[in-house]
Amino acid sequence: MKLNLGTIRSDLSGFNGISNIAKQTKDSFLDSIELNFSYCSFFEANMAAPLYSVIARLRDELNDVSISNMQSRVETILRKNRFLNVFNQPKLIDYNQTTLPFKIFKLTAGEQFNDYLNRYMKGKGIPTMSKALTKRFRQSLLEIFLNAAIHSESGLGIFVCGQFYPQKHRLDFTISDAGIGIRENVRRYTRRKVNSCNAIKWALAEGHTTKSGSQPGGLGLKLLKDFVRLNQGKLQIVSNFAYYEFNADGESCDKMDYSFPGTCVNIEINTMDTNSYCLSSELNSNDIF
Amino acid sequence: MSESIKIKVTDLIGSPLCISAEDGQKVFDKVAKLLSERKSVTVSFENATMLISLFLNVAIGQLYDSFSEEAIRAQLKVEGLSSDDMELLKRVVDNAKRYYSNKESYDNAWLEEDDNEE
Repeated sequence: MKLNLGTIRSDLSGFNGISNIAKQTKDSFLDSIELNFSYCSFFEANMAAPLYSVIARLRDELNDVSISNMQSRVETILRKNRFLNVFNQPKLIDYNQTTLPFKIFKLTAGEQFNDYLNRYMKGKGIPTMSKALTKRFRQSLLEIFLNAAIHSESGLGIFVCGQFYPQKHRLDFTISDAGIGIRENVRRYTRRKVNSCNAIKWALAEGHTTKSGSQPGGLGLKLLKDFVRLNQGKLQIVSNFAYYEFNADGESCDKMDYSFPGTCVNIEINTMDTNSYCLSSELNSNDIF
Repeated sequence: MSESIKIKVTDLIGSPLCISAEDGQKVFDKVAKLLSERKSVTVSFENATMLISLFLNVAIGQLYDSFSEEAIRAQLKVEGLSSDDMELLKRVVDNAKRYYSNKESYDNAWLEEDDNEE
C-alpha cells in the first residue's frame, strides 16, 4: 500500500494529514506500507513524534513500514532530529544544536526522560533561559510524560522530540503516545458518551482526572495551561478527533476529519520570558495544610 | 505531642526526582501509617531536584481521604521546598480538599453528551 504524505506543520492540517494515514491503514496487518513523501515540501521537526504514533501502531500489527521520495530539505530535518534512525538511516550531526532528538521511551522511563532533558536542553543552540522558566518548562514536560505513562494504556511507548527556532525565540516540544486517547479515558470514567473536544475540555478543568482509585489529580494539564498563559506560549492537544489549541489569542477546539490514534501534546514556549513564576509571599506548612 | 519523625523523601524513594506515582505512594504509605499512630511527621524534600503535581497528589493529596484537615495541620510539616514548590504543594492540597469534600459532583460536573463525531 502506497500512501502520500503532504506538507506537515504543527497545525490542524498537519495533524489531519498524519491522522489520514492512520485512517487509511486502520485494518492493515502484515502488510507493506510505503509512506510517499514526494508531496511533502516541509516537515516541522516536532511532528515526527505524532507521526511515530501512527507508525508504532502499524509496526505493532506487523506491517512493514517504509518511506520513499523524501525531498532533501525534509530528509535533512528528519535526519538531524534522528527520526530517520527508526528507518535505519544514519543521523546527521546537528551542528547548531537546536534539536532535541526524536526518542522512544518506555512508559516507566520517567527518570530516563529527565536525563534526556538534562542532556539536550543544554545544547549550544538552546538559549539560556531564566532559571524559573527552565524549571517550569521541565516540570511541565515531566507532568505530560508521566500523565501519558498513566493514561495511555499503550505498551508501544512515549515518543518525544523538540526543536528550537532561534529567530522566533520559540522552543517546541512534543510528547505523543499511541494509546487509547483522552476521549476513551473520560468516557470510561464518567460513563458518558462525550465527544473528543468535550473530553479535552473536561480534562483541562482543574481537579478532573480519570486516574483510577481514590486519589485526587487533574492538576497537570491545568498547570500546563497556566504556565503557557503566563509565558505567552502555545499549547496544542490532539487526541482522537480533537485539535485543541491555546495561545495568546485564546482557546479553540476543532474537529479533525480523521481520528488521531493516541494523544499528542505540543508545548511551545517563548524563551525570552523573564517571569519569576512565584508569588511574592513565602508559604509555610501552616499556610498549606 | 512527641518529637516529630522526619521522612527524607529522596532517601526513601532512592532518587532526587519526585515525579512518579509509585514513588509518591511509597511516601504516602509511610506518612499515613505514622499519622494514624498519632505521630508528628516532617516530610523533608531536601536534595530533591524535581517535583511535580502528579507525585504530590499521591504522596500528600491522598492523605485528605483518610485524615481530617485538623489532624493533618496538627501532625504534618514539610521542609526543604523552594517557595515555588511550596506554591505547587498548596495547589495540590487545595485541590485535594475540594476533591474529597465533594467527589461525586466534582467528577460529573457539566459534562455534556455528544457522540455524533465518527
